[in-house]
Amino acid sequence: MKPLVPVAPGTRVVLGVSFFVLFVAVWAAATFGGLVSKTFLADPLTMLKSGYTLLTEMDFAEDIGMTVWRVLGGFVIAAALALPLGVAMGAYKPVEAFFEPFVSFARYLPASAFIPLLILWAGIGEAQKLAVIFIGSFFQLVLMIAVTVGNTRRDLVEAAYTLGVKDAGLIRRVLIPGAAPEIAETLRMVLGWAWTYVIVAELIGASSGIGHMITDSQALLATDQIIFGIIVIGLIGLASDLLFKWVNRRAFPWAQLGR
Amino acid sequence: MGQILSVRGVERRFASATGSTLALQATDLDVAENDFITILGPSGCGKSTLLRIVAGLDTQTAGEVLLDGRVIHGPGADRGMVFQSYTLFPWLSVLDNVCFGLRERGLPRAQQLEVARDFLAKVGLKGFEDHYPKQLSGGMQQRTALARALANDPRMLLMDEPFGALDHQTRELMQELLLGIWEAQRKTVLFVTHDIDEAVFMGNRVVVMSARPGRIKLDRVVPLAHPRHYSVKTTPEFTELKAELTEAVRAEVIAAQAMMA
Repeated sequence: MKPLVPVAPGTRVVLGVSFFVLFVAVWAAATFGGLVSKTFLADPLTMLKSGYTLLTEMDFAEDIGMTVWRVLGGFVIAAALALPLGVAMGAYKPVEAFFEPFVSFARYLPASAFIPLLILWAGIGEAQKLAVIFIGSFFQLVLMIAVTVGNTRRDLVEAAYTLGVKDAGLIRRVLIPGAAPEIAETLRMVLGWAWTYVIVAELIGASSGIGHMITDSQALLATDQIIFGIIVIGLIGLASDLLFKWVNRRAFPWAQLGR
Repeated sequence: MGQILSVRGVERRFASATGSTLALQATDLDVAENDFITILGPSGCGKSTLLRIVAGLDTQTAGEVLLDGRVIHGPGADRGMVFQSYTLFPWLSVLDNVCFGLRERGLPRAQQLEVARDFLAKVGLKGFEDHYPKQLSGGMQQRTALARALANDPRMLLMDEPFGALDHQTRELMQELLLGIWEAQRKTVLFVTHDIDEAVFMGNRVVVMSARPGRIKLDRVVPLAHPRHYSVKTTPEFTELKAELTEAVRAEVIAAQAMMA
């Protein structure tokens, strides 16, 4: 091994998979070997079996659907509002000066701490779940989009002006397309965070969703179901991340050049 | 030949901690239609500042710039510019980069493509229309930037050390390419450089600027006929002017260094 020397694609996959294998092996050894009591940690096989039961007999697929819907719903609302505001802040410095201090403050407010308040305001229905996701992702998105747009190369801006663009054209034809790949990366990252917020929202005051199943299982000491739920979240998160990456690569081929 | 550009008493001060620094002393410069003027000077002499003021990208603290008798306010498509840094839009193909200004003017797409293809052929980039800028060498990027500026059909072309980042051989080929295009079209050019050979080879007139505060020190007509072949660089006329300019620039560099010390 030498610092910063890249690894061959094949080796990379093998290495990545082998840690998963190692992880499961250690888990299996600890549980089948009797090192850890079944009460505290289910073994991998039991986990898979109860996962199968959850899916076939207990409508767990519906819970997964609910959770995915909440994440996407809250995230899409946050992104739809954060994009115009972020671009406006990045492009116009007075707008940035007006919003930036508050947004910087708001993004450190823990979304999960709002849950009691949101239950009070919005009940335990869907609006409350969406609001948690929104609070958790909106401020982060706004700030990162504003920074990305504000970092547009000044020489490109100048070149555009000498080619005759006016301010509106500059935003539409230079600032936004130039920042687009990085904004897409920001969306991908924040979507990952949204996944952690939704489970917290579902742990408290929900009647469906993956988080709700996990709380129910806690009452029954069903660690097998809890672990299955956690793994499902991880897998969906990974899948959505890969999908997002793939879409970004397809949408912005120019940003991949010279990497 | 009428005047196209008139720089009148243009001065530029920069605010600094100790008051203000005079970067460009009140400067007058008249540019005739179809002329090719090179502005020569050591780094920090304010030559780029002057060009940027003409482009409307920087604002003078006194004086005015007139294009076709009208005072300019800010940048516009009537003054095309080629920068030293690579300023092609990386998200657009070579063809769409050249179309950029035409699209802004609202030209129908078919016409945009026709004009863009024509200029890409002129700079020798036929076959590279669908490449992204990052897939091109530095020289090819600057040729695209030249095509992009020319396609917009500006009243004049401003060039800020456009070949400064290129290697020596590529730079010489680029000079010949630009000169060939100018000889065919006679688009008015204001060209900033610190390379004396380049200034003499390209220009009809060489303006030498002095170091801090920048001002015009010397204004010489280049006694070389067009079309110019690169072999003119070895003629007595060329060497003679080059010698004079070398002395002038050298004195400025020494003066600038003395000021720093």
